[in-house]
Amino acid sequence: MRTLARQINILDYALSSLWRRRLKNASVLVVFTAVIFLVASFQMVTDALTGTAQEVLVNAPQITLQRMSAGRQVNIPLAYAGKLGAIYGISNIVPRVWGYYFDELTGANLTIMGLDTSRMPMGDQLRLTLAEGTFPAAGSRGSVVLGQAVRDMVRARGSQLLSLFRNDLSMASYQVAGVFSRATDILTRDLVVMSIADARDLFRIPPGQATDLCIYVANPTEIGTIARKIADLLPDTRVVTRPQILKTYRVVFGWRSGFGSICLLTALTAFVILAWDKASGLSLEEKREIAILKVLGWQTADILAVRFWESLLVSGLAFLLGVTLAYVHVVFLDGVLFRPVMVGWSVIFPPFHLAPAMNAQVFFLIFCLSVLPYLAATVIPAWHTATVRADSALSGA
Amino acid sequence: MLIELESVTKIYNQGQPNEVTALDSIDLRIEENAMVCLRGSSGSGKSTLLSIIGCIFPPTSGRAAIAGRQLARLPDRFLTLHRRRSIGFIFQRFNLLPALSVMDNISLPLLPLGVPPAERRQRARALMDRFAIRHRERFPAGQISGGELQRVAIARALVNDPPIILADEPTAHLDTGLSQVFMDLMAELHAAGKTIIITSHDPLVTEHPAIGRIIDIRDGRIHAA
Repeated sequence: MRTLARQINILDYALSSLWRRRLKNASVLVVFTAVIFLVASFQMVTDALTGTAQEVLVNAPQITLQRMSAGRQVNIPLAYAGKLGAIYGISNIVPRVWGYYFDELTGANLTIMGLDTSRMPMGDQLRLTLAEGTFPAAGSRGSVVLGQAVRDMVRARGSQLLSLFRNDLSMASYQVAGVFSRATDILTRDLVVMSIADARDLFRIPPGQATDLCIYVANPTEIGTIARKIADLLPDTRVVTRPQILKTYRVVFGWRSGFGSICLLTALTAFVILAWDKASGLSLEEKREIAILKVLGWQTADILAVRFWESLLVSGLAFLLGVTLAYVHVVFLDGVLFRPVMVGWSVIFPPFHLAPAMNAQVFFLIFCLSVLPYLAATVIPAWHTATVRADSALSGA
Repeated sequence: MLIELESVTKIYNQGQPNEVTALDSIDLRIEENAMVCLRGSSGSGKSTLLSIIGCIFPPTSGRAAIAGRQLARLPDRFLTLHRRRSIGFIFQRFNLLPALSVMDNISLPLLPLGVPPAERRQRARALMDRFAIRHRERFPAGQISGGELQRVAIARALVNDPPIILADEPTAHLDTGLSQVFMDLMAELHAAGKTIIITSHDPLVTEHPAIGRIIDIRDGRIHAA
């Protein structure tokens, strides 16, 4: 009971000591919070981007086949699907028509995608990506599913219809049949999905052609093997697999995240070294205080405990504040500080909301990289402090 | 016999070029409830002797015992424990922590003893009432007068009710009036049963009627006791 009361007394003294040096401690808290905020934000933006991409790509085709001519993508004849019938393991081949549409009124670049979702093996799951409505039924004409930004654009015009111009400047209008959910913003925010017939009509693509073929396989572990067989069979095509796309996302975000993390961890290390330097250099006033406490019956361990509690309170509070601010920054402010770094300055990317990604392992890692080194950097030098000779308080020293 | 020193020697920086023998074969016995003055000039060794009696550090050689307990070769941890329970210190410049309140300064020796906050406050207030400084309870020690500082320092020395009070040059920075008040308070504590040892060469201390014994120290040796 006495031991507990003693620890409470020491904690009480640590709190009053923090308050006495409140200006110094507040400045440490602000800098430490800022460093943890930057590291945690960066990590959370990375996790949110890769997490969102990974989640959305679950519904992407396992293999995408595009025809190449003179180094550019050209339309692929639907007859190519027949040539693939000989490859064992392909369960389904679905043609797709897509392209970009520049909207002069808003200056937005929309992605138009013509799909026949009823032929896609994961068509039912695709519905889960919608916040409201349904995909256009097979063979239906004149209805579309919109990304959030496109829906907002239509609403801003006070219209229920999305009107687009064909190549010959004739107008095509579409009813809004559904809207993608915000969780898929990274890929769908600028997207307009319509029936493949409507897409062919809009882009003036002949009926026997598509922009690419979506290929689904029975055994996902054989995606790579089947992709190689397709490339051998159709040498004028480009074969893109879903794992390759995922890997590209990981590599892009991972490289940028790694670069940023190194910069921020350097800042964190510099802070810890500074903390060590400050903690190991004792002021005369601090030495005197310790000598007085020792004469009054404080053990070296008691003085170390005071320093431990002080450091734990400052670093723990900085960690909580830093992580909370990072959460607010990523979830409510869309990671505004780091999004340009992560997404890329040179790419015109549609605005999208980041889904919160709370990875316990990442927080534990940040805790280990921030709070623990700070504790070590302040408590270990305090050993020096606590071994100041008690008699230095005597004779007015 | 409360305090017994036999052939106590203290050498600072032993074996180094700046070696100093602060105490040289001191033999001293102090009875319980005595009021003693260690008199000597600056550098005579009286503060070192007070530090050994106060268990701040052990002697280099010799035997030091307090209340029958041989303390000379105990590790620092045990000396601290003994100091915590048995000894109250009053310093030359009082050595209060200026940013702490009067209440917190007085309570400092009670924190490592695990005394709960309510009891701490109660004990500290009783002493503040006794020394008429209750109205300064929440004042930082850096903002009170010299006389009040002195009384806070005495209250701090008494808060854990130690049987021995050690005062190191307590009147060196006080005017005549405050020095007199201080000695009167010491006499009062002596009358209440405390053993009091004061280092000083101030006549106001050495000639005070409550001082029962004067021990002269010169060059680390006792010349008269």
